[in-house]
Amino acid sequence: MNVIAKQVESNAYPQQEAQRKDRRFDWQTPQCTRWQQANLFRNPFGELDRNERAELAVVDLEELVRSVGNRQPDGSLRFEGHKAFQLLGECGRGKTSRLLAVLRHVPDAEYVYLPEDQPCPAIPWGWPLVIDEAQRLPRRIRREVFRSGVPLILATHRDLTPSLRRAGYSVTSERIGLTLTPEKLMTILNRRIVASKRNDHLPIPTITAADAARLIQQFGTDVRAIESYLYDVVQQRVETDAEVRFID
Amino acid sequence: MPKCDLSIELDEPERIYRTGDKVRGTVSVETDDSVKCKGLTVTSGWRTHGRGNVAKGTAETATVFAGLWEAGQRESYRFELEVADWPPTYYGNYVNVEHFIDARVKIPWAFDPKASHEFTVRPLQAPAAAYDGSREPSGCFVKAFIAFVVIGMVWVFVGALAAFIAIPWVGTVIALVAIPLTLLIAAKTVLPMLMLGKVHSELVDDFVTPGENAKVKLSFQPRRNVSINQISATLTGAEVCVSGSGSNRTTHRHQFFESKHELLSETTLQAGNRREFDLAIPIPGDAPYSFDLSDNDLKWTIKLHIDLPRWPDWSRELNVHVLPNGSVAPDLDPRLDPLTSDLDTDESALHESEVVAAAPPTDGEITFAETATHLWQSRHNESQVDLLVEAVLGMTFDMSVFVERRLLYSGREDPHVYPNGYAVWARHDNPPLPLVLYVPHELADEFEQAGRDKWPIRGTVVGWDREHDRLQVKVID
Repeated sequence: MNVIAKQVESNAYPQQEAQRKDRRFDWQTPQCTRWQQANLFRNPFGELDRNERAELAVVDLEELVRSVGNRQPDGSLRFEGHKAFQLLGECGRGKTSRLLAVLRHVPDAEYVYLPEDQPCPAIPWGWPLVIDEAQRLPRRIRREVFRSGVPLILATHRDLTPSLRRAGYSVTSERIGLTLTPEKLMTILNRRIVASKRNDHLPIPTITAADAARLIQQFGTDVRAIESYLYDVVQQRVETDAEVRFID
Repeated sequence: MPKCDLSIELDEPERIYRTGDKVRGTVSVETDDSVKCKGLTVTSGWRTHGRGNVAKGTAETATVFAGLWEAGQRESYRFELEVADWPPTYYGNYVNVEHFIDARVKIPWAFDPKASHEFTVRPLQAPAAAYDGSREPSGCFVKAFIAFVVIGMVWVFVGALAAFIAIPWVGTVIALVAIPLTLLIAAKTVLPMLMLGKVHSELVDDFVTPGENAKVKLSFQPRRNVSINQISATLTGAEVCVSGSGSNRTTHRHQFFESKHELLSETTLQAGNRREFDLAIPIPGDAPYSFDLSDNDLKWTIKLHIDLPRWPDWSRELNVHVLPNGSVAPDLDPRLDPLTSDLDTDESALHESEVVAAAPPTDGEITFAETATHLWQSRHNESQVDLLVEAVLGMTFDMSVFVERRLLYSGREDPHVYPNGYAVWARHDNPPLPLVLYVPHELADEFEQAGRDKWPIRGTVVGWDREHDRLQVKVID
């Protein structure tokens, strides 16, 4: 037993480890040994950086593009001033993923995220300008931005149509997250799994349409909650060296 | 679309790399059609993955080839890149820190083929900031906080009383919230002190190395005879990470280690009899180091707890910073390089970084290109950037820039913006250091006409924009 304490006073006291919940650390073990069986190099349902999130987003940008511009014969996108597209929806339904997908396809787009309870960050000129959590734009700055006339793609919890119309914008709105098909969920989740694949030449466990249907039954259209649940499932399976299955 | 297979092979894939080491290997390319490569870049760095928002850093990037590959060609290119000094490799439940070599082929108008290979890093030294930050908040700060809370509570009571007299139902609502809150705070802080007197606890050392003991002092002088159930110290190790941002921000915690030690079992302490405990709590020899990577942290804490029967308990948490001390820990993998060579390399690497940081301020003739080069090379090292910016603050330079875009809103509090002027994002010619230019109204036409061409300007360095990692320059007319 470790001597962990010495009372300065002369009286001795009992020392014992009442509880010990440790294990031999394996924090340095290369992933190839811990994740090899699942043919993954990381948990597919962890957080992704902005670029990868955009890369893996399952979104159809055509309607969005038609609302604020048009696709040229050579395939490039052209946006028009004083046009705005706003995505309305609850958290975890894919608003930010869509915005990031726009950024990936439009080099001149500029993305701004407005944090909660913090000063408004610098807002650069963009063609289009993409604003996440646009309902947080302070009134004065909102007027300034809308006055610029740049094409806007907004994700917001509050309908900003009146303000946009007053500034001369024509507005298209889309409410997202009202429905989610098993096929679409399956595509979203499997795209993440494939992006975390270790060896292209070996098979990888995937989500089936039946799995996706059961997940929708349990979590509704909240994809973020589904990913969070699957993170724990995969982590537990890998830690216990069990075969990776997503739904029992 | 042509297929371009990329693979990376490290010379020593099993090696544990240290501060100042270089990782060597070969990147191989095989194509089934002719491919025009704008650049085959190889990068060393680290990144997190898991529950928390991704954090990452780059140590070194090299372009090993640019040109044309013919169909069926197989080529191999050697690389030798620096290893990032910090953080250490870590594979956990919610937090993973991975050091990697990434290879990427830049192909015009096509998705860039990529390959990645991870390796293990166990640093000998943490950044200076980690050691500086290991002190507990000073007594002054804690006292000020307590005073603030107490004064706040008094004001809430006064407000509730006044409201109760003026509008009884409003006063009742405030009282219903304020009284339980006050009782809760009192139960946590004031009531244990009535029994135990003022309890003093502190960590003796700023940081501790795995395998050593974390030394803690705990002392108090009971004001009256007091029965205790137990005095204990619990060492815990936990991964704490944050996912999402703003209103979607969620904190996740996974405790991977807990060791509880009983300091004193059930007994009665005599009034006025001072009790002092010098604790030496062993940190496991294979304990992972503490780190703080923005939204991905590994924390060690010691919770001191005095369990009082039928009375609110006293407890306090102390953050223990488990960090390397410059030598190889005894429990490490036997596949390590000889200790002496590692230490030599490490010292020289540290010395070099100090020289880089110290160079610019001493040179009165420094050009903007030199300043930009230093900043560009140090852009992933916050403390070094601060040092460099401080050194050139207020200095005026001639420079050539490319305008990227103007800002529609530059921040209300930004004092550098000229009245009726503009804030513009730009980048320096070479290296492409990102800049924020504050342009006077008179130069508006000039910068608009510059378009995407090089724009020669004269400007004064006024700061560093942390949010966007840009040097702030006030343009002079």
